[in-house]
Amino acid sequence: MSLTLAPTTPFECLPVAPEHLPELARQRFKQPDWRFGHLIARAQQDHILIETLLLQPAQGRGVILSAELLAGVREYPAITPHVPAAHWAERAVGDMFGVRAVGHPRWKSILLHHDAWPLDLTPLLPDAGTSREPYTFFKVKGEGIHEIPVGPIHAGIIEPGHFRFSCLGEVITNLEIRLGYQHRGVERRLCEIPWQQAHFLAESASSDTAAGNALAHARAIEQLLDITPPPRAVALRTIALELERLSNHIGDIGALSGDIGYSVGASLFPPLRGAVLALCQLLTGTRRQRWFIVPGGVARDLDDGRRTAMVQGLAELTQRLRKHIPLVIEHPGVIERMEGTGRLSPGLARDFGIVGPAGRASGSRYDVRATFDRDALPFTPAHREAGDVLSRAQIRVEEIFAAIGIIDAQLAQLPDSPIAVDLAGAVLPAERAGIGLVEAWRGELLHWITTDETGAIARYAIKDPSFNNWTGLAIAIRGNLVADFPLCNKSFNLSYSGNDL
Amino acid sequence: MPNPFLALLTTGLLTQRDCCPELPDDATGLPAVTASPCAGCRRCVERCPMQAITLTPDAEGIAVTLDRGRCIACHGCTASCPAGTIIADRSTRTAVRTRDALVLSNRTHAIPAAPQPTPFRRSLHIREVSTGDNVSDLEVIASTNPVFDVARFGIHFVASPRFADALLVTGPVGRAMREPLLRCYDAMAEPRLVIAVGTSAISGGLHRGGYAEANGVTDLLPVSSFVPGDPPHPWSIIHGLLLLMGREV
Repeated sequence: MSLTLAPTTPFECLPVAPEHLPELARQRFKQPDWRFGHLIARAQQDHILIETLLLQPAQGRGVILSAELLAGVREYPAITPHVPAAHWAERAVGDMFGVRAVGHPRWKSILLHHDAWPLDLTPLLPDAGTSREPYTFFKVKGEGIHEIPVGPIHAGIIEPGHFRFSCLGEVITNLEIRLGYQHRGVERRLCEIPWQQAHFLAESASSDTAAGNALAHARAIEQLLDITPPPRAVALRTIALELERLSNHIGDIGALSGDIGYSVGASLFPPLRGAVLALCQLLTGTRRQRWFIVPGGVARDLDDGRRTAMVQGLAELTQRLRKHIPLVIEHPGVIERMEGTGRLSPGLARDFGIVGPAGRASGSRYDVRATFDRDALPFTPAHREAGDVLSRAQIRVEEIFAAIGIIDAQLAQLPDSPIAVDLAGAVLPAERAGIGLVEAWRGELLHWITTDETGAIARYAIKDPSFNNWTGLAIAIRGNLVADFPLCNKSFNLSYSGNDL
Repeated sequence: MPNPFLALLTTGLLTQRDCCPELPDDATGLPAVTASPCAGCRRCVERCPMQAITLTPDAEGIAVTLDRGRCIACHGCTASCPAGTIIADRSTRTAVRTRDALVLSNRTHAIPAAPQPTPFRRSLHIREVSTGDNVSDLEVIASTNPVFDVARFGIHFVASPRFADALLVTGPVGRAMREPLLRCYDAMAEPRLVIAVGTSAISGGLHRGGYAEANGVTDLLPVSSFVPGDPPHPWSIIHGLLLLMGREV
């Protein structure tokens, strides 16, 4: 076992035999304070490693179970039967490495479509010598069951993906979500370009989460280099991350209004989002905070004039929000429409590792900002149990005001320091791993970088929060009307491109 | 109970009257090439992650080209240029009708013939297809909100390609989106136009050259309007649409 974790990475690496992997994962996962983080494969010269990250958030630590397959072996015992949250990650390893998780209950391709790519293409392990089966949809059988295929191109201005509904009349009995249409080969490309330029592409993994992705990348690189960004940069990054949360949550309140035909909310909230984007532009130079957070710090300082303008803009925005949010969230018609719709039970949310606002609406108390994030102020995550559309909307409202509080506090006492560590001439250490964890606006976002013996990036894994949460949507919609799908979908508002990579 | 109608009545007009205004000084915009002579230090070329800049010695000094179809506006070049040859341009009127026009230069070119006017002068109905750049989608959506209000120009986004005059593409079009995109185009009645919004749609941007062959829409369909930026500003997107309609802005 040549790999070591970067010293500031709060995880330990535990070599295990592949045959013991499922049991060791199960032992931890069945304890309520552990959760599944991610599962990746890595190609060594002649063999494959299966690395399973399990997290113990309350302690701010975790463990990587590292199972080394024998040379030429292309399978291992699946952990999904014991750890359901791993079901998509194991399938992704199947596509990208040609390694089969034996005993996986829904084994099939997930990212690489058989009509777009050769069945023997395994992008992260050249010449794996394996072949995928063409994709087949799960078939619900029974009298009166009919299927509704939707997508990949949807009616609105939204990303592509295919939804296969199996329905009994108007009621959905099963939804199968097939994504992968936007697979762009991000993970491999990140190993091909110089690491000094990798932050541009890492940030674009899901470009609507620029601050989140850039921060996760920066944290992973900083762990590898064993450097700490200056306090002013930490504060400015926190502001950027919370502005991103603010703008997207506000946008979603408007979009939820639109999906139930409540045009007052649909027309009042986009301009409020625009007001947040104006603050983003003051801070970073662009509405979408592009290229602002970089390894070592941030790319631009906030001078006093712009800081004052931000404080004023935020105060005005808060006033407008206090006036407009009750118009939606306290409106009897809105509550009537959202309450009980698209319910995701806390038990299933835990089994499938649902993260972010969707997880916290279904009983979870997990928020990276309260656990692994050492930049954060003392923070209590929002929490509800009902797991319906209304809870997800209410969580967002609470997080909107929490984000404003965080930004306000940071702007009030911006530390005086440089804004970045100079990384000119910096070299990544050989055979190390760094893992950047961020509570992006959709939830736990993870960038996991491993270097090879020359210090080049050998494996770059990204886990978007959507990768966890798509299954949550598929479960929540069961037993609901077809016509409620847009509303449920918007209440999760997941990223397709962050999932497809 | 809060009164929604009172809120609407007291909110007032939110729509920006000025069409395609300059961005404020706080914003970075896109880089532009000026007539100021290049010092030849090559810092811009070294810092550009997109290979979007070329420097070629010629009789007058050094010819500089900058391809906005590749540029992601990271501003490594404008920050490192000591001669003022590459500077930040805060105009939102950045859309063009041809791919060549995205390549800026400090040497004068023969001005190419203006592209044919399109038949959609008063209204344009658009089908949007996203292929892997969701932040550009957000800026397209923003163009429809009450602040930018693209509907005031007779521009509407429609659900079916059957109703659409134009296909607006965002994202780099990887292999798995190629067929859905081409089938969407096939379903449109002629005459039909294609608009590429964002650097990744124009050239693949950061994704260009990978195994997913996500090199943009330009090689797949005849594009009539190019909107550079990663992502473009909503005003730039509206500029790209108004250009197609031959409207003065």
